[in-house]
Amino acid sequence: MFSIVTYFSVEALLLLLVTALLYACLPQKLRRWVLLLASYIFFYSISGKLLAYLLFSTLSVHHIGLWLADVQNECAAQTKGLARDERKALNAVYQKKQRKIMGFACFIHIGLLVLLKYTPFFSENINTLLKLAGSSFKLQIPKYLIPIGISFYTLQAVAYLFDVYRKKIPADRNLMRLALFMSFFPQLMEGPICRYSDTAVALYDAPKMRYDNFVLGSQRILFGLMKKLVIADRLNLLIQNVYAEPNKYDGFIIALSAVGYTFQLYADFSGTMDLVIGAAQMFGITLPENFKRPFFSATISEFWKRWHITLGTWFKDYIFFPVSMSKPMKKLTTQARKKLGNHYGPLIAGAVSLFCVWICNGLWHGAGWNYIFFGMYHFALILGGNIAEPVVIKITQKLHINRASFPYRCIQIARTFILVCFGELFFRAEGLKSGIKMFCKIFTDFTFASLKSGSLFKCGMDRQDYIIIIVSAILLFVIGILQEKGIQIRNSIAKKNIAVQFAVYYALILFIIIFGAYGAGYVPLDPIYAGF
Amino acid sequence: MDERLLEILEDIQPEVDFETCTTLIDDHYLDSLSIISLVAELEEEFDITIPTVEIIPDNFNSAEKMWEMITRLSEED
Repeated sequence: MFSIVTYFSVEALLLLLVTALLYACLPQKLRRWVLLLASYIFFYSISGKLLAYLLFSTLSVHHIGLWLADVQNECAAQTKGLARDERKALNAVYQKKQRKIMGFACFIHIGLLVLLKYTPFFSENINTLLKLAGSSFKLQIPKYLIPIGISFYTLQAVAYLFDVYRKKIPADRNLMRLALFMSFFPQLMEGPICRYSDTAVALYDAPKMRYDNFVLGSQRILFGLMKKLVIADRLNLLIQNVYAEPNKYDGFIIALSAVGYTFQLYADFSGTMDLVIGAAQMFGITLPENFKRPFFSATISEFWKRWHITLGTWFKDYIFFPVSMSKPMKKLTTQARKKLGNHYGPLIAGAVSLFCVWICNGLWHGAGWNYIFFGMYHFALILGGNIAEPVVIKITQKLHINRASFPYRCIQIARTFILVCFGELFFRAEGLKSGIKMFCKIFTDFTFASLKSGSLFKCGMDRQDYIIIIVSAILLFVIGILQEKGIQIRNSIAKKNIAVQFAVYYALILFIIIFGAYGAGYVPLDPIYAGF
Repeated sequence: MDERLLEILEDIQPEVDFETCTTLIDDHYLDSLSIISLVAELEEEFDITIPTVEIIPDNFNSAEKMWEMITRLSEED
């Protein structure tokens, strides 16, 4: 049995090609089975027998969805023809029943995720507390094998159940369609986190493979390969050295590697998304976008609307609004608005909800204090931005500064980028302590000596490496500007005559072959988001 | 258009012409915080429950759309 480590391995690309070939040759009824089988082979080749977890989650989601539907149907039958007050009272009874089912569903699905991913972290911290309290009692720290993609497919499962509970979608009786929705192999390891209404029907329909989809999908896969092999893997030469032993480097190199890591993370994750979305497009499946040129964001809030979009919208729909719209929060908002006004009144409920979102966001990325710090850092920045907004508006008005002007937006973009880089420094650091040390060093030990002496070029990356990264960054920047202006580059290329099309493809392939960081002397970057 | 709805909207965001604007969410006249206030006020004023599933741009982009949602939810409740 072959095993897959990343999407960018020969085995994964081979599986994709064989699946695409079978998909193209077989009739519709069998195509969906090809996708499901390929998905389970993909999962098994990474996580082996842990496939049982995915199968259990799929069966559980199917069953609970139908259970909710039964209660909803019973409620509809019982309340039919009743007067409004009676209907309201009976609705409340059934609503309570459904809430209990959802509580049970969350206990099963979130509980399993917490058990596998967070028990060691919580146990370690409880042991530290016990030690501080002078107790000799120690909890055993369990070690679990974690199935690949559990953080992603669990969120899809919970979203599906909440959508059924909210009557946004009907419960699906078709187990095969649900199984495909939960396991579709291109998105299994790193998302995007899809909603049932986004992909389930299209996956089950298994549309015929079309030439234009195949071309556009392949283009996107190539672009993803470029980001991953040329940028992310090359930057790894510097990043892994500096973050492993930050004490050896001055503040300038640490600042540079913080910026480098932010760019690496973007290239790795968005490059993987290009591959995933491109692969799905080859089968005629449209997956939701996960990135929208995040480095053009003027504020941190905007950044999170452009970076890992499907995770952000998941938290907004299933945590932010449910918390801020809960009865106690609504009451608080109404009262606070009378006393504190239109801006600061609802901000209290907003802050509580934001806190819940960001603690979950931090923990979702990993069981570690640096991830919690990362979440709290972004919580503080977004809340701080909201608190300061009326003051900033007043100041800029007094100073006659046009907030919509190009220079003002450039300053905002630069500020947001710097803040994001600091956040990512803590995110990547080997623990919170190391992150704090690195952060301090940027300010206490900042010198250009390493640049002048040339020692900067001996930290893992030499002059050529830097040139390749800078050229690639300029390329991405130009592409980003064109996309911001609404120009659809891939469609424009696909419309050119065949000679121009292939000239572009060959240029991109050659660029990857020549400048890609692979082979002897290079350590490919592990898929960062697959670890979450 | 219901006068009570317009009053609530003008109270929350006085600088917007709610009778004509049809891009309240798309053009960021109403942000997440305004929506939190708005939902609380609408529920109290019209004795309805606005479930989270209804909090989508389409339902809040204009006063007219909001009124349609309120009427629908009053009938469903």
